[in-house]
Amino acid sequence: MTAVHTLPALSEEAQGLATGPVEHPLHPEHTPTGQLSFGVFFQGVNSSTVWRSERSGSQVAWESFETLIRTAERGRFAAFFLGEGLRLREHRGVPLELDVAGRPDAQTLLAGLAAITESIGLVATQNTTYNDPVDLARRLQTLDLLSGGRAGWNIVTTDNAWTGENFRRGGYLDHEDRYVHAEAFVKVAQQLWRGEQIDHHGQHYDVAARGTLPRSAQGEPVLFQAGASPAGQAFAGRTADVIFSPHGTLAAAADFRRSVVDATIAAGRDPQSVKILPGAEIILGATDAEAEEKRIWVRDHQIGPQQAIALLEQYWGRDLSDFDPDGPLPDVEPEIEQSDVTRGSGFQFAKAKELTAAWRAEAAEKGLSILEFAREKSGARRGEFVGSYDRVADRLGQFAALGAIDGLNITPWLIPSGLDDIVDHLVPRLQERGIYPTEYAGTTLRENLGLPPVQG
Amino acid sequence: MTTHRNSAGTAAPAPVLAVDLVTDPAALPPLGALARALEAAGIGALTLSDGGLHPIHVAAHLAPATTALGLLPRTDAVHVEPFHLATQLMSLDHVAAGRAGWLLAVEDTPEAAHAVGREVLGTEAAAQEAADVLTASRLVWDSWAEDAEVRDAERGLYLDAARLQYADFEGATFSVRGPAITPRSPQGVLPVLLADADRAAAGDTVAEQLADGRALDVDLTGLDLTSPDLTDPQAAGEQLRAVVAGELEAAVRGDGATAVRLVRLVGLDLSGDPQALAARLGALAASLREDDLVAPAPAAGTDLRAQLGLPAAVRDADPARRADRARLVAAASTTEESR
Repeated sequence: MTAVHTLPALSEEAQGLATGPVEHPLHPEHTPTGQLSFGVFFQGVNSSTVWRSERSGSQVAWESFETLIRTAERGRFAAFFLGEGLRLREHRGVPLELDVAGRPDAQTLLAGLAAITESIGLVATQNTTYNDPVDLARRLQTLDLLSGGRAGWNIVTTDNAWTGENFRRGGYLDHEDRYVHAEAFVKVAQQLWRGEQIDHHGQHYDVAARGTLPRSAQGEPVLFQAGASPAGQAFAGRTADVIFSPHGTLAAAADFRRSVVDATIAAGRDPQSVKILPGAEIILGATDAEAEEKRIWVRDHQIGPQQAIALLEQYWGRDLSDFDPDGPLPDVEPEIEQSDVTRGSGFQFAKAKELTAAWRAEAAEKGLSILEFAREKSGARRGEFVGSYDRVADRLGQFAALGAIDGLNITPWLIPSGLDDIVDHLVPRLQERGIYPTEYAGTTLRENLGLPPVQG
Repeated sequence: MTTHRNSAGTAAPAPVLAVDLVTDPAALPPLGALARALEAAGIGALTLSDGGLHPIHVAAHLAPATTALGLLPRTDAVHVEPFHLATQLMSLDHVAAGRAGWLLAVEDTPEAAHAVGREVLGTEAAAQEAADVLTASRLVWDSWAEDAEVRDAERGLYLDAARLQYADFEGATFSVRGPAITPRSPQGVLPVLLADADRAAAGDTVAEQLADGRALDVDLTGLDLTSPDLTDPQAAGEQLRAVVAGELEAAVRGDGATAVRLVRLVGLDLSGDPQALAARLGALAASLREDDLVAPAPAAGTDLRAQLGLPAAVRDADPARRADRARLVAAASTTEESR
């Protein structure tokens, strides 16, 4: 796992396919559309947004959301995407103080944003583990109706009892069961959207209800899923309309397309009906050198010395504040078996001793300090597109032509102005290349993502 | 554990004039226009009753279209997930820039219970549950200080955990740890009112101790505001005034939890032309204001607590729930070990 810090050379395969759509270069059952859609992921938490800048605005003020969504709609973005975390992140037993934290409820906010926009999709991340399916289905359908068919639902699960401390159920779901539970949950929601009477008595819940609301202009909300883990990917293959886990290199994105097409076919679905919009960060400049300079500035401001130490503390399980962020990785052993990942973050559990030993070796080999190493790890979590406007436009054109992706779900590194250069400089170049919409295709999210009408 | 009480105090001023809007999906397209027209006509607040669309989301949808109207969804406090409800309501307050309130309902019906896999609780247990959900919600709303976001670049701190506190609510049927996943909302603690129709089900604890006040319901079901007899807005306003003023004068004003803070026109058919409806209701508002029977029309940007005559919410900082106490305890134990 290395970060995509420099502009990677395109594979020969990709270079040969750099012009326009071609027939199934990645998978015989998939035909690239050659077209891209963009979503914007307003993170509202974590280190992806630079807050140590004078240009960094409020993360919760209405004006920030309004500015960003208006820019996105001006740039013909298909979707405005909000995350969710059901417990405030903690580090070593205290709310994490280093990163942006605290955001409004996604759907309540999107219901407001629906009133000031006309075409952009409104996607809410909502957890299946700690929601009630009848309530959540109704709220999503409300958003879909209020917005004239522009709602999307990013389906996420959790299994930890720590999050459960905010909810009636507490910790109740085994890790292995989380997608079984999620799938039953989604099924109930879909039945309600279709006006059916449900009487579900399953392993995890018993509910009886009837869907009473009318169908929206797009039938029902579009389903998003990260589809990162193998279980998640299989679930996405059966259920999702859009998959967005990040794949920064073309090779990784191509592999991911192949496995998504396989999962979709295995589930008996048309592979063209599942779109891949990987999470990505785009850093642009008039020249490659300017963009690279900006990338370094962004990375330096995303991960400071305190965050670098905190990142390591999660895996070492002990106070590392005496170590110099500009020095080598700590030469002490971790104090825990399993890494005490900062609660609520996206890191996966790992065997602490093995992982920390591997990291020490990696950092020593590359000659990286704690701070440099943390910045590299942080970059590796995201797909990055860095370069001049033309460079990035060409590169995206190659991704599109190959059919590796159907677009990107872009995390701006600055709120609320982080999309300005993308909309002003990159979008027009993509439009000139004929691979990005100049107008919205329709009024619903489903139409604007090129998805087929809903079945059922 | 600290119990957040209502904002009891001096006698309530004249109540805010509110119109109840049922969230029927068939009434969707003109909702924003209706809200704007009612606001321009001097109506003080809208209450959103459940007609299918989720009232909290409908309230949020109307917020950007308006600048002065109070927005109070009427939603259940029993068969709900308290942390989600609290988060949604405080998020509404963010979207509405401090104009959100909660019209608390107790819906212990088989439909409401079975939708979340529970059984009907019964009157007493439902009232207790509602009291607990209200108390827990206030603790969640009050868990961030206004200045918790410090953005101290030098120390690398976005937040100061010492300015957050856990909710640490332990009720009979649920607990909530907190803190909120949403920063403190503009009002801090939302006003919570109880409509007359909900008083019996809500029970004495909510109705007489915990609520911030009462919504006096004036039922206008069957009245056709657009009938030819009422084409003159002034005449319509006067006819309405006779009914509303009568109810207001007859009502016991109460204080504290029972103070009449809102007079709510329910049962109105709002499906007609928004401008025509607003003209008639505006004439009613003006007529009632001549005798100071209802509060003045709110200015843009007035928060709902102020409009209702409630004092600004002051954060109830509780050292025992401070979110950095774990750090303090950890530091203390480290010191202990090193001796």
